[in-house]
Amino acid sequence: MNRRDFLKGLVSTSYVVLSGASVLAPLNALAASGAKSKDGWLTTGSHFGAFKMKRKNGVIDQVKPFDLDKYPTDMINGIKGLVYNPSRVRYPMVRLDFLLKGHKSDTTQRGDFRFVRVTWDKALHLLKDSLDEVQTKYGPSGLHAGQTGWRATGQLHSSTSHMQRAIGMHGNFVKKVGDYSTGAGQTILPYILGSTEVYAQGTSWPLILEESNTIILWSNDPYKNLQVGWNAETHESFAYLAQLKEKVKQGKIRVISIDPVVTKTQKYLGCEQLYVNPQTDVALMLGIAHEMVTKKLHDEKFIEGYSLGFDRFLPYLLGESDGVAKTPEWASEITGVSPEIIRDLAKVMTKGRTQMMMGWCIQRQQHGEQPYWMAAVLATMIGQIGLPGGGISYGHHYSSIGVPSSGAAAPGAFPRNLDEDQKPLFDSNDFKGASSTIPVARWIDAIMEPGKTIDANGSKVTYPDIKMMVFSGNNPWNHHQDRNKMKQAFQKLECVVTIDMNWTATCRFSDIVLPACTTFERNDIDVYGSYANRGILAMQKMVEPLFESLSDFEIFTRFAAVMGKEKAYTRGMTEKDWLIKLYDDCKAANAGKFDMPDFESFWKEGYVHFGEGKPWTRHADFRDDPEINPLGTPSGLIEVFSRKIAQFNYDDCPGHPTWMEKTERSHGGPGSDKFPVWMQSCHPDKRLHSQMCESKEYRETYTVQGREPVYLSPVDAKKRGIKDGDLVRVFNDRGQLLAGAVVSDSFPQGVIRIHEGAWYGPVGEDGSKEGGAEIGALCSYGDPNTLTQDIGTSKLAQACSAYTCLVEFDKYQGKVPEVSSFNGPVETQI
Amino acid sequence: MKWFINIWRTLNKPAKFLTLGTVSLSAFLMGIIFWGGFNTALEMTNTEEFCISCHSMESKPYQELQETVHWSNHSGVRATCPDCHVPHNWSRKIGRKIEASHDMWGWLLQTVNTSEKFEAKRLEMASREWKRFDRDNSLACKNCHNYDSMKWDSMSKLAQKQMKRAAKLDQSCIDCHKGIAHKLPDMGTSRAPELIAQVGSGENTPQSEQTYFTALTKPLFYNDKTDVEAGTLNIATKVKVLETKGNRVKVGIDGWRKKIGAGRVIYYDFGLNILSAQLTKDAALEEGVIETFEEKEDPMTGLKWQRVEAQIWTDKDYLVSDLQPLWDYARDTYTTSCSVCHTQPDEAHFDANTWPGMFQGMIAFVNMDQDTQALVQKYLQEHSSTFDKTSH
Amino acid sequence: MNKEPVSDNAINQARGIVYQLLSSLFAKEVDHQLLHELTSDNAQNFWAQLASEQAFKSDVDTLMSVLNTLKSDKALLELAADYCGLFLVGTKHSASPYASLYLEDAQTGTDDEPTLFGEQHQLMLQFLKQSQLQVQSSFPEPADHLAVILAYAAHLCNSSDETAQLEFIESYLNNWIGNFAAKVTQCDSGQFYSALTRLTQSWIQAEVTGLRAEQ
Repeated sequence: MNRRDFLKGLVSTSYVVLSGASVLAPLNALAASGAKSKDGWLTTGSHFGAFKMKRKNGVIDQVKPFDLDKYPTDMINGIKGLVYNPSRVRYPMVRLDFLLKGHKSDTTQRGDFRFVRVTWDKALHLLKDSLDEVQTKYGPSGLHAGQTGWRATGQLHSSTSHMQRAIGMHGNFVKKVGDYSTGAGQTILPYILGSTEVYAQGTSWPLILEESNTIILWSNDPYKNLQVGWNAETHESFAYLAQLKEKVKQGKIRVISIDPVVTKTQKYLGCEQLYVNPQTDVALMLGIAHEMVTKKLHDEKFIEGYSLGFDRFLPYLLGESDGVAKTPEWASEITGVSPEIIRDLAKVMTKGRTQMMMGWCIQRQQHGEQPYWMAAVLATMIGQIGLPGGGISYGHHYSSIGVPSSGAAAPGAFPRNLDEDQKPLFDSNDFKGASSTIPVARWIDAIMEPGKTIDANGSKVTYPDIKMMVFSGNNPWNHHQDRNKMKQAFQKLECVVTIDMNWTATCRFSDIVLPACTTFERNDIDVYGSYANRGILAMQKMVEPLFESLSDFEIFTRFAAVMGKEKAYTRGMTEKDWLIKLYDDCKAANAGKFDMPDFESFWKEGYVHFGEGKPWTRHADFRDDPEINPLGTPSGLIEVFSRKIAQFNYDDCPGHPTWMEKTERSHGGPGSDKFPVWMQSCHPDKRLHSQMCESKEYRETYTVQGREPVYLSPVDAKKRGIKDGDLVRVFNDRGQLLAGAVVSDSFPQGVIRIHEGAWYGPVGEDGSKEGGAEIGALCSYGDPNTLTQDIGTSKLAQACSAYTCLVEFDKYQGKVPEVSSFNGPVETQI
Repeated sequence: MKWFINIWRTLNKPAKFLTLGTVSLSAFLMGIIFWGGFNTALEMTNTEEFCISCHSMESKPYQELQETVHWSNHSGVRATCPDCHVPHNWSRKIGRKIEASHDMWGWLLQTVNTSEKFEAKRLEMASREWKRFDRDNSLACKNCHNYDSMKWDSMSKLAQKQMKRAAKLDQSCIDCHKGIAHKLPDMGTSRAPELIAQVGSGENTPQSEQTYFTALTKPLFYNDKTDVEAGTLNIATKVKVLETKGNRVKVGIDGWRKKIGAGRVIYYDFGLNILSAQLTKDAALEEGVIETFEEKEDPMTGLKWQRVEAQIWTDKDYLVSDLQPLWDYARDTYTTSCSVCHTQPDEAHFDANTWPGMFQGMIAFVNMDQDTQALVQKYLQEHSSTFDKTSH
Repeated sequence: MNKEPVSDNAINQARGIVYQLLSSLFAKEVDHQLLHELTSDNAQNFWAQLASEQAFKSDVDTLMSVLNTLKSDKALLELAADYCGLFLVGTKHSASPYASLYLEDAQTGTDDEPTLFGEQHQLMLQFLKQSQLQVQSSFPEPADHLAVILAYAAHLCNSSDETAQLEFIESYLNNWIGNFAAKVTQCDSGQFYSALTRLTQSWIQAEVTGLRAEQ
């Protein structure tokens, strides 16, 4: 047909008028409705650092470090990608089958499946209906809203506070105790050293640099881990690490890194490494202790005056109680460290001032309580606890610990708890005989075996029958172990709700997904300098929330409105009111000590600086007068033997530090005949856990063929015909994943590393995009928790044991699947 | 005119023979006279211009005032210097004026003419004003703010609760609202102001043979006079008042101690590390201070414990008869401060001897002064699973 | 070139309405009201006229047959899920309707996805601004969303000469609509949106041919 004729024909019919509004509007109408923000530099911050951002044409254009951050991490280059990456959750969404069938939906679909967009109003009513249903049918034990993690920085919009306050206004729920990072450490150390230690301020770096002769970095990589902090980091620790590097070079301080792997810190400092077989650190420590006792190198006076129970530990050490003397020879067999080196270590550590610095990795393994306890015993035997540059610390790699604190008060936060006069809509506290609080890493077990009773830290925990989970700013499909077990567990849940900014695997395994905006799309305040508490940062909104995302404050204010509790939720205050209140409260707390300008001046300036702090020595007061300044242990002294733990009668955590074999151990240990390689899944170098994995351009600076790197030794590579840059399939009986080989001398034979936080992207067995929801699916990107085992460290902490994990790997020969981790749910057919 | 001549004579004497009071009074009267008439002078000195004509007033307090709601607010009402600092009642006003002549002395001597000097004196000056507000029961505030006219509904729940309680007692406003018109001084020594605002600073005259609880950690003394400290009495500790002398009371503290060292630390009960008092070495050995009773071994540590009763002196302030307000304050602080990063564990999640380790390990991120820390720890211990058998 | 100004206006209006209709269908899911409008008698005539062109017929027929099956909420929801899976959740395994994804692909020759709100978004914003337009605040999408570009083409039909129309359609629609249509056809779990996209592609091709012929 002739075009003109055709179009003429159309003219006669095209008066069909669509009533829907056009997506375009006249320019001025919009300009009048909301004044667009001006371009220019603004201040904000994140776990990766405090920084400045330039806004141009309404989008984030450039990022540069905060003036006071002299050692910025290059992770701030990934910030733009956090905001503008294609994994953004753009609208409230509901899994189709859940929308149709509610709590009776087909849960085997959960994972990758069909979602539909709904309005905020609809989504929040669905959330309320689901909560109503669970509270009515099962009571509070049916709901777990207690899994929380590293929310984005900002005291006002702290996602976990908002979620728990709002959900708590609806009804009570199951909560967690402990965390994945330090679960074993924070449970055992109060019995031994009288505090969790892992989150305590440590001896100041200036004193360590001045006084220490030897620093032992035990499974500790501060140069990698100090890049991120709990608050807006300003990386002051790096100035001290630079000084340490200088002292190492001058031969003034000897630093020994005890680790199977050459760490980033070791390379930076140019210090010594002592290789030890994975998971055998306790045996090494016992060998050192044995040598100390044999040669009388230990400080008997300190042991006598400051500790309790050494006499009950000694028979075990010497083999009188179990017939096995823990000699350097004995230790050498297990650890792969020669008896001579062990003897020498005992000498080195007891000569001059020795600061032991423990990392967190070695407590994330089966019996993870033991290396921390035994290290404390070694430090007690050395006798320098409480002296500057001596003793032991468990946190110098974390959030600026060791940088002297300013002593100023930090701003509070939006309240997590209900106000005193508030009652939840469903106020039942009947957990039906189950526990209301469960150890953080045992929730999947609880879903799988409700009603089961386990031992935990001296009491009994009975698993509640969990039917519904609510997550906010939290990605357990990163940090929990054993994906395939999680899939089975999730099929038992009736409803899963996730609030997040990007399509994490947790969102994909949910029924209701709500879009939160990023930190950079809202106003907030935070501390900068983490433990140093160096000042307060204005976190200024860079751009309006993208798509239909909302701030946490706004999301849960609207949800509270659905419950008819809006005013109770906000206390009748706006976001701005809260911001000013948090600032003014902080100002009042600092009055007379630290000058703070009025809020407006602060906001204009972008920060308030509190100045330097005074150097400080951990446990110095205890050393000075243990009677007046007792430790928080039952006796007030260091407990080498703990009667309290002993009376729990746990086979996997007796009354003194003990070497125990693991269910899986490489280098000749159990299971190594079938899966000979130990996989470590430590904290990433270029992310904060799973945060920033979605930042595409930055991710591509380290991926191999678009996959997470797997670091492996040249020997292992050669044996399997793998070259640097190859695709590698890593597997065991629990699962399989694809990763990109990085062959490196830093790794010994039998050890591989895949950083945790690699986004889970399951694809079908045959590599097709479908089948990701199936048990046994291949992870197309390389999430190491596809392979780790989900067992407690012991009956004491019941913490996660990700580091007790053996695998095998080979060169991947199959059809190469696309990475499915970063693109929202993949529509799977069943 | 005779009185005038006498004064003139007095003024013409060399100042070194005069007491401070005379000079101040004279200066005040001179002021009156030279401004030509009593009332005029009084009114003159009652204006803002007069107040800030002294440089030290203009540069600090006046500028600070301008940043507050008392200067600028949506109702357009402004409080000027005399509104708060000069009583409206005539005889009191005169009294205040005479008092204020002291300030002129300060002006003459340039006591606070630099920022440093002003800051150094700020607490002293503020304390004088607070005391005056206390004496007037914050009358100056109440001229504008009336408990009866307050609209409770428009207040937050917390504010309602606190204001209603204050209204019931017709409490002095300044008890809670210090630092609202000028910067708060460095309170270095005035401890836990919010806590004290809530629980009060104790009975004026503690009764003998009655039991009280400490509202702060308090110093202990050997007797009713000496300033030599004999140790500290922990916050929220139960004591029995045995005798009162002046500002001191002799108290009895019952508890248990570990038989290690000099046995200087008194705990709440056998085997429980809940701190009641710590004595200096000398005090612990001093005759008549500690009476000892039976001994028991703690199976959890193998340490010997001994029951004791101590009798020792302390200041009579900060002894309150009701423990509950202390616990209320501690619970509020715990649930607010300890939930900033994570869900705070239930009080009964740990036992009394585990709490100190958990609490001390997490304290780095929490804003609590020493007294509040000690109080919250004790609250957690005394509400732990050791005492609360119902949960967990 | 054209001698019938009155009729020309009407024709441009009609073309504009086609662009507007396509824009609306890409902008959001089909709801009851839209369904009602699309299946009204007037609309039936319109669809029939569209289908009279051979190049459009099979896709219009598919659209019609799908629309006629949307008798229940569930059926509408299934179609909404198709929409969501294609246009709202991601990029790689879906067919996000942003020009930047297809244009920059072609340029770099890789399958990397660019970030959102990038260069193409800014370019479209410039166009809109020149025409005193902006994206509706109720449509919080980047400006290089297909619905925005189609709506802008509709605007041009009624407000600018054919040279300008042709230039815009060639530079901002015709150069990526083919890649987009292929992606939608590959990812669509139903038939509606692949037919809609193919129809859009055919329409644009016909437009380009026609406009070129008239130059």
